[in-house]
Amino acid sequence: MNTPEIRIENVSMVYSDNGASVKALDNVSIDIQKGEFISLLGPSGCGKTTLLRIIGDLLQPTSGNVLVCDQTPRQTRMDQKYGIVFQSPVLFDWRTISKNIRLPLEIMKVPREEQNRRIESLLELVGLSKFADHYPHQLSGGMQQRVGIARALAIQPEILLMDEPFSALDEFTREKLNEDVLQIWSKTNKTVVFVTHNIAESVFMSDRVCVLSPHPGRLSAIVDIDLPRPRTKEMRDWPEFNALVAKIRNSFEGV
Amino acid sequence: MNVMKKMTLPKLLNILLPILFGILFLYVWEKNGLHYLMGLKKYQLPVPSQIAKALADNKTQLLSNARYTTAEALIGLIIGSLIGFFTAVMATVFPKWGYGGLTVLSAFNAVPIVALSPVMNNWFGMGMGSKIAVVVVTAMAAMAFNAYRGLNDLKPFSLDLMASYAATRREVFFLLRLPNSIPNILTALKISTTSSMIAAIVSEFFASYAGIGFELSNALKTAKMPLAWAYITVAAIIGIALHFIVSLVETYALKWHVSQK
Repeated sequence: MNTPEIRIENVSMVYSDNGASVKALDNVSIDIQKGEFISLLGPSGCGKTTLLRIIGDLLQPTSGNVLVCDQTPRQTRMDQKYGIVFQSPVLFDWRTISKNIRLPLEIMKVPREEQNRRIESLLELVGLSKFADHYPHQLSGGMQQRVGIARALAIQPEILLMDEPFSALDEFTREKLNEDVLQIWSKTNKTVVFVTHNIAESVFMSDRVCVLSPHPGRLSAIVDIDLPRPRTKEMRDWPEFNALVAKIRNSFEGV
Repeated sequence: MNVMKKMTLPKLLNILLPILFGILFLYVWEKNGLHYLMGLKKYQLPVPSQIAKALADNKTQLLSNARYTTAEALIGLIIGSLIGFFTAVMATVFPKWGYGGLTVLSAFNAVPIVALSPVMNNWFGMGMGSKIAVVVVTAMAAMAFNAYRGLNDLKPFSLDLMASYAATRREVFFLLRLPNSIPNILTALKISTTSSMIAAIVSEFFASYAGIGFELSNALKTAKMPLAWAYITVAAIIGIALHFIVSLVETYALKWHVSQK
């Protein structure tokens, strides 16, 4: 096998809060391959978001090593290889939709014509071409999160980090966006690390699901999802799908 | 015509009712209704027609004094707002010692104008300088605190987002913090336009060569009540006009804002 795109080795994270220290992650090791769609799944307090932030260099682990593209997360961040989608869309209210997607391209000093070209194709990809000149408050929550995804893809990142991107959305919108993200992923072939607390969502989306248990955050299982691709919404009713959901749910018992 | 079509009845009433109320109020006042209600004599409160006559008779004098006071208020407003904004930027960029600047401004702001004015007259003389100084002090605190809030109350994860692009501090300031603070800056200006006029007029009461406050106080001392009320009217019109201008800028500059929905 090739060297992994993301190598997480014995990572631990201890937060200290007024003298009391809380162990958020305990000795977690995961290898993620290039082009893989991997989910970090677990209940609140399992450290899944902490782990994602460590991969993205938004947090420094207390101990352990992370290598991304054969370098430190810091170098990878400085090379602007991360696209991050957060729990909320984090759109800048004073920028129109197309200008929000333009933001990272301005920072990266991408030539203007190339900016326009990318924005146009991304708006099409997320189905918001008609809303290019709207302001964020004129869009629904689901549409805003699509803009967040388009903006993350704008810099053509090597790695897409998604931190519970759909947790604030209703079930219908969430399932629709699940399919959309998979479709986008199949076209772009990024490595995706997807944080969620929704078991069905993680099964539907992923190649592998890393199950994390809380207090302290530990990797309790890695489940291979061998459902065929492309995934369709009918698969949610397959016995294999439900068996995988049950298997993951059971791995939480005794936690 | 197009505009009229869009006007629904409730919207029309929203405009018409205050106007009707205003006319009614002036009418009652003219017919000594207010005097009757508050037990005032005619020399204590002139009626609108007397005030209108005083306005017409003293047009030149009123205009030149209005210009004098407005200049004090606007110059003070601009200098004070710039100092306040600069302090907010320092407090944001250098949080450790910059925040101290905000504390100093809040201490200044706690000093009442009435106490500050004689001191400033003593420092800067009886001309415009001392009035501008008082306005500066009142305007800078409002701007400093509002701008500081705007520069620092950022949406959750927005700093993380900028970090993920490896944005420099400069880029974070100009692409995120500064545009984020614009609604707060406009709020500060709205507050300060009104308070600047008050500060300028009150300062002129104490010692001055000209201005609305100076002439108003003279008119009161010599019992020229219609003239005094003419000055009050002029002050009110200027205050409303300045507020209106800032509101107009706000509507234009904040068309992206949720409040403009």
